[in-house]
Amino acid sequence: MTLTPEIIAILMLDGLFLFFSSIAFVLSLKLYWSWDSEATTLLQYRLEKESYLVGLIIKYIFMLKVPLFLFFIYTCDTLSGIITGAMCAAGVVNSVDFGLFLLLFKLLNLYLFGFWLLLHVRDVESELQPYVRQKSLFFGIAFFFFVAEIVLEILFFTSLNISKIVSCCGTLFSASTQSSLSFLFLMENWMIVSLFYASFILMLVGFMVKNGAVYLFSNLLFLFFAIVSLILFFSTYVYELPTHHCPFCLLQSDYYGVGYFLYAALFLGTFYGICGVVIATLTKGFILRAMRFSLFFNSLYVVMVSAYVVVYFLKNGVWL
Amino acid sequence: MKFNLYLLEFALFSLIRKGAKTLFVFLILTFLIFLLASVLFISDAIKHELNVSVAHLPELTLQRLQAGKQVNVPLKRVEPLLEIEGVASVIPRVWGYYYFKVAGVNFSVVGIDAFEQSYKESLQKVVDAYDVKALEKESGMIVGAGVKKILEENYYQDFFNFVTADGKWKRMHIMGSFNADISLQANDMILLPKKSAYEIFGMPENEATDVVVKVSNPEEIPTIVSKINQLYPDMRVVTKEDIRVSYQNIFDYKSGFFLSLFVVSAFTFFMIIYDKLSGLSSEEKREIGILKALGWSMDDILKERFYESFILCFGAFLLALALSMAYVFFWEAPLLRSLFVGYSTLKPSFELPFYFNMPMIVLLFLLSVPVYIGSVMIPSWRAAMLDADEVLR
Repeated sequence: MTLTPEIIAILMLDGLFLFFSSIAFVLSLKLYWSWDSEATTLLQYRLEKESYLVGLIIKYIFMLKVPLFLFFIYTCDTLSGIITGAMCAAGVVNSVDFGLFLLLFKLLNLYLFGFWLLLHVRDVESELQPYVRQKSLFFGIAFFFFVAEIVLEILFFTSLNISKIVSCCGTLFSASTQSSLSFLFLMENWMIVSLFYASFILMLVGFMVKNGAVYLFSNLLFLFFAIVSLILFFSTYVYELPTHHCPFCLLQSDYYGVGYFLYAALFLGTFYGICGVVIATLTKGFILRAMRFSLFFNSLYVVMVSAYVVVYFLKNGVWL
Repeated sequence: MKFNLYLLEFALFSLIRKGAKTLFVFLILTFLIFLLASVLFISDAIKHELNVSVAHLPELTLQRLQAGKQVNVPLKRVEPLLEIEGVASVIPRVWGYYYFKVAGVNFSVVGIDAFEQSYKESLQKVVDAYDVKALEKESGMIVGAGVKKILEENYYQDFFNFVTADGKWKRMHIMGSFNADISLQANDMILLPKKSAYEIFGMPENEATDVVVKVSNPEEIPTIVSKINQLYPDMRVVTKEDIRVSYQNIFDYKSGFFLSLFVVSAFTFFMIIYDKLSGLSSEEKREIGILKALGWSMDDILKERFYESFILCFGAFLLALALSMAYVFFWEAPLLRSLFVGYSTLKPSFELPFYFNMPMIVLLFLLSVPVYIGSVMIPSWRAAMLDADEVLR
C-alpha cells in the first residue's frame, strides 16, 4: 500500500462520510418507522426537525462526492505513473480484481444520491412533506451501497501494490485479449454506432411526444450504447489511432482532458433523463424541465463525440 | 436552491459581530491550512525539480555488484557494451564522496575528461566553459557554489589540499566555480580531471565507479536491459524510469507521513470547533429566537449558518494559500524545507522553483474545507432547531 497525499485525502473524506451517513441512516430509519404527518406528538415534532438534518447531511455528502469522483479518477491517473505497466487510470483500476466494481459503485451511488436529492427537493416544496417515508426508505437502502463503496475503496487503496505489474489499457481494451470486455469487440462498429444514434433519435421522439416512459427507456439505452460506442468507435477518433480503445486515457492532459467534459455531459444528461423522469412521474411534477435538461446535456455529448469523427474526416479525408 | 444575497450579507455581518470568536477560528484554520499547503508545495516543487533533472539523465546507469555491494566496473567492459545494438554511447564515470573533516561535510567529487562527453547537459556546459586540458596541466578544479563557500570559510581561497588514499597531500587549484541551473545536485560538487580523481580515490586507472549508457530509442530500453543482464549478470541496471518512480515514492512518502500527522490535528480541530459551536451562548440563542419570531424558517437559518462557515473557511483557505505561496516561493520556506532536503551538513542552498498546479489546489481544498463544514453542520442544525418561544421566554 502507498500513502500518497491524494489517497490520504480520499480516505479521510471517506471516514467523514461514513460518520455522517451513519447518522443520517439511523435518523432515516427512525423517520421511516415513526413518521406520521397527522400526529401532533412530541416525537413527530422532533422528527420533523431531524428530517432537516438528514437532508443537510446528504446534501453535504453529495456536494463533495461529485468533485471527489473526478478526483478519484485523477488520483488513479497519477498513480499510473508509479505502478509498473499502468499508463492511465485503467491499469490502476484493474490492478485489483474489484477495481471495476468500485468504479461502478461510485457511479451508481452518484445516481442514487442525486435521485434522493431530487426527491428531497420535491418533498420540501410542499409544506406537508408527502415523501418523507419514501425518501427515508430509499436512503436506508442506498446507505448499504454507499458503505459498500467506501469499504471497496479502502480495500482498493490498501491492496494497491506498486511493485506488481499490471496491464495497460492497450491490452485491457483490445479485441485480442480474453478480458471481460472482449465480447464487445465481436460487434461490428457500424452496428454499435447506428444503435447509439438510433437511441438518441428515439430520445428525441420521446421528447417530442412528451412521453416519459419512452424517454426513460431511450435514456437507459443511450447510456449503455454511448459507453460501448465510446470504447469501440469514438475513442479511436479522439486518439486518432485505430487500435487505442481506452475510455480512461480520454481524461489525460494529452487529449486536453476532454474525457471530463464528455463524461460530465453524458452522466448529467442521462441522470436527468432517468432519475428526473422517474421522480417527475412519481410525484406528478414537471416532467418537461427534467427532460429539457437531459436533452440538452445528451445532445451536447452527441455533438462532441460526433465532432471528433467529422473533424477527423475533414482533415484527413478518410475514416479510421 | 435559490441564492439569497441578503442572507449572505447577514452572514457576513454576523461573522463580524462575533468578532473574537470568528478571529480565533479563522486564525487557527489559516495556520493549519498554511502548514499543510507549505509542505505540499515544497514537496511538489522539489519533486518537479528532480523530475526535470531526471529527464536530462542518460537512460541507463550500470552498477557492478559483488556480494550485494557496489564495486568498481572494469573499463574493458565498455567495448562489449558499445557493441549492443541501439546503444548510442557508453560513458564510464569516476566519482565519489570526499569527506572534509574540518567542516564535517561530504563533497561529491566528479572526474571529467577533455575528450569525453559528459553524461548530463548541465555538466557538459560547465565543462565546455573551462579548458579541461588546462585543468589537467595545472591540476585545477571547478567547484560548486556551496563548496566554494565552505572552502573560503576554512581559508582555502584559491587551492585545496586533498588527502589521497595513500595519505599524501594533493594540491588542487580552484579554477572557477559554477552555479548550475539545477543547484540541488551541483551545490556540493567538485569537478576535477579524471587523473586526479583516480589519485584521490586511490582507484586503479582501469576501473570506473559506474557506467552510464545512452539509448537513442526509448522503446528499445527493455531489450537492451535484458541483453546487458545476459552479458554481465553481476551488473545492476537502473533505468531513468526507476529513478523517477523512486523519487515519486520518496516524496509521496514524505508528504504522506506529514499528512497523516495533519489528519490527526485536523480531527482535533474538528472536535474543538464542534465543541465550541455546540455550546450556544444565551446571546446566540436569543438571536435565533428573534430570527425565528421574525419569520425565518429553519432552512433559512441553516443556510445562513452555511454561508457563515463557508465564508470563514474559504477565506482562511485563500489567505493560507497566498501566505504559503509567499513563504515557499518568496522566502524559500525556512525551517520546513529541511524536512525534505535531507540530512547532510552541506545542505544544498537551492531555490525552490515556482511550480503550481491545479490538482494541488483541489487536493488542499478537499483536505481542509469539507472538514470544517462537516464540523459545523451538526452544531448549526442544533442551533436552528431551537424554538422561538422557548428561547425568548
